[in-house]
Amino acid sequence: MSFQPAFQQGGPQPPDAAEAAPRGRSRLGRLLIETPEAGVVTVCVLIFILISVNAPTFHSVGNLQVVGRDLGQKGILAVGESLVILTGGIDLSVGALAGFAGIIAAWFNVSHGMPAPLAILLTIVLCGVIGFWHGTIVTRLNVPPFVITLVTYTVTIGAALAITSGTPISGTDPLFQDLSAYYVGQIPVPALIFVAAVVLAWFVLERTYVGRQIYAVGGNKEAARLAAIPVRRRITSVYVASSVLAGIVGILTVGRESGTADPSVGTSGWELVAIAAAVVGGVSLFGGEGRIVGIAAGAILLEIISNGLLALHVNQFDLQMVQGGVLGVAILLDSWRARYVGRDRT
Amino acid sequence: MSQPQNPAAWGTPSRAIIARLRGVHKSYGPVRVLDLPELDLYAGQVVGVVGENGAGKSTLMGTLAGSVTRDGGEIEIDGKPLAAGSTQAAQELGVALVSQEFPLVGQLSVAENLLLGRRPRVSKRRVLIDRKAQRAEAAAMLEEIGVSSREVQVTRQVRTLPVPARQLIEIAKGWGREPKLLILDEPTSSLGPVEAALVLGLARRLADQGGTVLFIGHRLDEVAEVSDRIIVLRNGKLVADLDRSEVTEDRLIREMVGSEIAHSEPKAADPNSPVLLTLRGLTAAGLGPVDLEVRAGEILGIAGLMGSGRSRLVHTVAGAQPSTGGTMELAGEPYAPRNMGSGAAAGIALIPEDRKEQSLVLFAPIKDNVTVGILRRISSHGLLGPRRRRQEGQRIAESVHVRMQSVDQPIGSLSGGNQQRAIFGRAFASDPRLLLLDEPTRGVDVGAKAEIYELIDRAAAQGTAVLAASSELEELLWICNRIAVMNHGRVVEVLDRSEATKERIMTAAAGTADSAAVTNGAAT
Repeated sequence: MSFQPAFQQGGPQPPDAAEAAPRGRSRLGRLLIETPEAGVVTVCVLIFILISVNAPTFHSVGNLQVVGRDLGQKGILAVGESLVILTGGIDLSVGALAGFAGIIAAWFNVSHGMPAPLAILLTIVLCGVIGFWHGTIVTRLNVPPFVITLVTYTVTIGAALAITSGTPISGTDPLFQDLSAYYVGQIPVPALIFVAAVVLAWFVLERTYVGRQIYAVGGNKEAARLAAIPVRRRITSVYVASSVLAGIVGILTVGRESGTADPSVGTSGWELVAIAAAVVGGVSLFGGEGRIVGIAAGAILLEIISNGLLALHVNQFDLQMVQGGVLGVAILLDSWRARYVGRDRT
Repeated sequence: MSQPQNPAAWGTPSRAIIARLRGVHKSYGPVRVLDLPELDLYAGQVVGVVGENGAGKSTLMGTLAGSVTRDGGEIEIDGKPLAAGSTQAAQELGVALVSQEFPLVGQLSVAENLLLGRRPRVSKRRVLIDRKAQRAEAAAMLEEIGVSSREVQVTRQVRTLPVPARQLIEIAKGWGREPKLLILDEPTSSLGPVEAALVLGLARRLADQGGTVLFIGHRLDEVAEVSDRIIVLRNGKLVADLDRSEVTEDRLIREMVGSEIAHSEPKAADPNSPVLLTLRGLTAAGLGPVDLEVRAGEILGIAGLMGSGRSRLVHTVAGAQPSTGGTMELAGEPYAPRNMGSGAAAGIALIPEDRKEQSLVLFAPIKDNVTVGILRRISSHGLLGPRRRRQEGQRIAESVHVRMQSVDQPIGSLSGGNQQRAIFGRAFASDPRLLLLDEPTRGVDVGAKAEIYELIDRAAAQGTAVLAASSELEELLWICNRIAVMNHGRVVEVLDRSEATKERIMTAAAGTADSAAVTNGAAT
């Protein structure tokens, strides 16, 4: 094909002009503005340094191990939550489901004398089934994900209470504690599981065609459908992943509480932390946007803020207020950034 | 090239100036996208505005309607200065913009959309909504532009309506503001011939009532037909200001692109090439029964009015809409798609009507958009690295000559024509046996259209069967070997290229349902 030169030029187009927008800035400045992840990672490092300088205990090995174990809870939930949000959905059940998973695994183990490995496996399978249920209801009946996962949230919190009558289940198999208390080198196992979840999610999203299809589904469902992508299957799979990760977190939690499954775990509001981590990490709540590096950094950021504030001896009654304030500032900065680059996104 | 303005030559009833623009300009970054030293729009005229995408048409409209903040210059509407960048100020001065973007609230009813932000003029209630009055006024507004409440029911949710109906609602909204200056931005690009004629009539009517219409159009014959005066923009500058008597389509195209487009007649399809697609009594919701055959290497056009089943036919063949009866065969093999997946597996590619809604993830990079249908195929054992994605994206985009800076830039930053070419690239990438097109050049400018037609020819030349549904008759006459005319869900006539004329197509397309059934020879 050969077109005449006049066509090749095509005239000046406003969007092309916007493309060249941030001129005369340093490379670093541009990187910060154009990639959401770079911002979170930088803030993460800055806050880490800031707190370390002011509270020497913060970067002691012991405290960092605490941070690592916390990441083995909320961080893992954030990974699963982000997968769901990437498809344009939301999973409100992750915190409650984690609590429920801990109870049910302990219950299998203690009340039914099931061997610990079997109890754990069964619990995770059960969580997978619940995720499959979410995905099926969302894709087949078009029930908003907010609603169906809210149902699970309520039911699982209730079930945890019903099973235990409100009393924690103690005396679980030592395996539970081992999972949470063991170290590889100096690193606690839950932190390693967090890293594994991040790496796995990164691999699937960035290195497999299924991952790219998940982005396409989140970016434009109708376009994905017309491009012959199995939209329902992709959506269902992220709900399964989210619930399975919640199950894993639940089991880690039992070990952390010295082998005791506490029915109040599900009401700790972890789902909100997970959602916040995703948003801070650059995931768009409308779907299709956000990368795993940012999500992991978002989770780490929230964790070091809450842990760091304790290390700084912030009055514990003021803690949540300060946490919320920091979160607000982070989100404002991000929307400022989005507005700066958002011009070519019409 | 610009000619002196001579209002007397247009023989207008009134020479009052409705809009006076002096030194209006606007830049995005270093690029000056609009630069108009002097432009006057007179009362009682339809002024056509033509130009390629990126020529500054949208910017001109935007500055007048207040949605674009001009960098400098003065605008007066009916003698009163217009503040820059305020849609409210523009509306108060009597400027109404009917855009292609349809700023309608999908969840609300047609009536609520038409009266958005205000209460019915005659309302029996003070605080609560008088729904009856609302409905009545909305119906009257539609009636006013010639749309009956049977065609577009005012109680329907807007999101359940097809694109053309939304366009009509948008026009009724603009018309209802009783504007002095009505700006129509490609109002007919999503409409069939009958609705388009209705809109052209409206433009004429407002001009006859002493208003001014700024008519932005892609279909040059249409612009030439309705306008008293046509201005041509290129690279943000006014390059020609023509009286209707001096306008020819060739001249407009020459002014727009600064050169001539090469014409090429479509070749007749090889009658000996094998039949690729056979439809026998195919039915689906609002469709059929349809009998049709398409040969390999043939381009079969589908003409018909809005709601005649053009899109539905294409979607049913693609597997995007379930069929309810009849049979399909692909190259002699029975073919019964359950969803798009089976369609794609059988070697069918679909290019849907609405780029933004049905094809693209606008904020995602070009490379991801063009590979979205073939992700599985370009992966090895399910794995797909970033380098491969980029390579494939680059290869596909280049195969259809997408003009871009890099495959990493968001596809939304490309012009409409470039986006459409990228979508063609994506469809070609799956090596389809059958290519299904629904409005292949909607919202694409003249120069880019010719390039899209070349892409369609290229596919056919390689033996792909093409089924192209379009509301633009010229387009079909231009590219197709045969044209099937649809009416009320059925194919009422199939015309060879040699016998097809606009008139014959229109007659068949606009026939009543009864005569359609008779012509079709099908019962029930």
